[in-house]
Amino acid sequence: MMLFKLAFRNILRQRRRSLLTGLTIVGGFVLCTFTFSLIEGAWGNAVDFYTLDSIGHIQVHWADYERKPKVHKTINDRRLVEQTFSANDDVQAFAPRVYSPALAYAGTKTIPVTVIGVDPDLEAKVSRLKEKTKIGQYYNNAHMRTAMIGAGIAKSLAIDVGDEIALISQGADGSIANDLYPVTAIVGNKSSTDSRVVYLSLTTAQEFLSLGESVHEYVLLVRAPNDNEVVAKALETALHLKIPEITVSPWQVIDETFYRTMQSDKRANRFILGILIFIIFIGVLNTVLMSVLERTREFGVIRAIGSRPSTIVQLIFIETMMLTTLCLLVSIILLVPILAWLVNVGFSLPEPVDLGGMTFSQIRGGVTPLALLAPVAYIYSFTVLVTILPAIRAASVTPKTAMGSH
Amino acid sequence: MQFLLICLLFITTTSFADDSTKQATDIITEMEKLYRGNASRSTLTMTIQTPNFERHLTMTGESMGQDYGFFRILSPKKDRGIATLKREKEMWNYFPKINKVIKVPPSMMTGSWMGSDFTNDDLLRESELVEAYDLELEETDTQYVIMLTPREDTVTVWGKIEYVVDKKEMLPLSQTFYNERGVKIRVMKFGEITQFEGVRLPSSITVTPLNKQGHSTAIVYDNLDFDPDNISEQTFTLRNLKSRF
Repeated sequence: MMLFKLAFRNILRQRRRSLLTGLTIVGGFVLCTFTFSLIEGAWGNAVDFYTLDSIGHIQVHWADYERKPKVHKTINDRRLVEQTFSANDDVQAFAPRVYSPALAYAGTKTIPVTVIGVDPDLEAKVSRLKEKTKIGQYYNNAHMRTAMIGAGIAKSLAIDVGDEIALISQGADGSIANDLYPVTAIVGNKSSTDSRVVYLSLTTAQEFLSLGESVHEYVLLVRAPNDNEVVAKALETALHLKIPEITVSPWQVIDETFYRTMQSDKRANRFILGILIFIIFIGVLNTVLMSVLERTREFGVIRAIGSRPSTIVQLIFIETMMLTTLCLLVSIILLVPILAWLVNVGFSLPEPVDLGGMTFSQIRGGVTPLALLAPVAYIYSFTVLVTILPAIRAASVTPKTAMGSH
Repeated sequence: MQFLLICLLFITTTSFADDSTKQATDIITEMEKLYRGNASRSTLTMTIQTPNFERHLTMTGESMGQDYGFFRILSPKKDRGIATLKREKEMWNYFPKINKVIKVPPSMMTGSWMGSDFTNDDLLRESELVEAYDLELEETDTQYVIMLTPREDTVTVWGKIEYVVDKKEMLPLSQTFYNERGVKIRVMKFGEITQFEGVRLPSSITVTPLNKQGHSTAIVYDNLDFDPDNISEQTFTLRNLKSRF
């Protein structure tokens, strides 16, 4: 307790210097937390955009369909699978899909496309397909024998709502799937990920590909997106008891490249912020060194009356830790409104940005455990680091050398 | 004297080689004419077997000489009317549901024909074996074994083809297809000899790709008429390909 009193008195002894050091720490912490929040928010928005655009938080397939898709690798026992999804409270929504590559024809033009069969009602709950339907009408019932096409297809084949599109593919029974569908809607724009996709209603696509009731994929959204890997694991365990061949994959596995890119970017940003904090703490080191130097005689007297070197080390550590903690408390008070603004309002973009048919006009921050705790860890780590040298120096002062110093 | 002997040996060897090649050419030509005659009309059943499905198609086939062929699917109902036309070195497919004629490009020649283990190349190139390959004949007591090696200017996916013919019946027994590295890729077997209009022929042809486990395609000739009256060049037109029936 005595050491805490001494440390507190020492902080107040040179108030102006302590204030300046404190401001440096507060500035560094606020800047660090703000930047972390911005990075987390930007990536969080990107993940939200990406997962809600089409891939969902979790995908469920038959065996290795995700890596080696074949039209016959289907989930047949849909009732059992859907019951498992419904029984899990963490699952917010799910939707079945079927896929197939195809050739699309209109007039004399031909292009390769991907056919995706979707359940109109369920799909609207797991992706932004309905919002991306810019021209024409989204399916109003599950059995419509019509096609919604990506904007890229509409442009390449020079067709519009009301025209017809011919599709040729291979059916699951080896037959040549071929049929003609009226176009009722155009989805997204040319930069959309589904610019070359033809959407059919699930039953129409199943009939086209001779799939019966089977599907290739389930897309799931979970209530807590950050926990999707945990939920995926739980679902896989539950499903494997009934159907061992089922594969449950979180989006981090489905698009590993994107996930790794994100992780690399975050690591790089953490490293840069670490360097920034280090530079700030070189200033703090200078302050602590000065403080130790000024008190050489004092440390000599403390040693002369019988204090051990470890007591002096403790005193220096408590001083800097106390100062840092006080600064963090002040920083947190400052950060509450700043982060509230960043998360809820954010920066307005000068021009709204269209990403694949969805418009973004704000950049917002994100509050995650990492964004809050990483700067605290940084600050305390560097505090310890910059205190080691002055503490050793102070502890090594002998009464004799101290009395000889000015 | 020595020079004369060498000349004689050379002439004799060349002459034997020429005879052997001619015999091989005659055998292959005869084999290829078996199912075709000058013109033919057939009804076929094709069974496609894979680990995931088994599919049966019935179809009609018409041919005239080496250059013309026409196939139309009769059943199942879903595929009824899908047709393939071969004219000389070109090939088209017709899909009645979408009323679309699609020319098969050269890049698709190794692609599957109607989802079977037969390739488009089988339909188009079969008649050109004699022109496109160098032939080498070997004989056993019961069989002719003819090795077909593609000529330098031949565009083909096969490194060689081994064609085995039954000597007594003068009917094909099998064709084995090798890739450029000499690895066996698929086997075509002929079986169930049946009499069609007085001509004895293997009524079934089974293709088994050796690189796709569990896959095979069998064609069985249910009916085969040689030189029917109403087949002419007009049968093998794009207009006829698109005609509803």
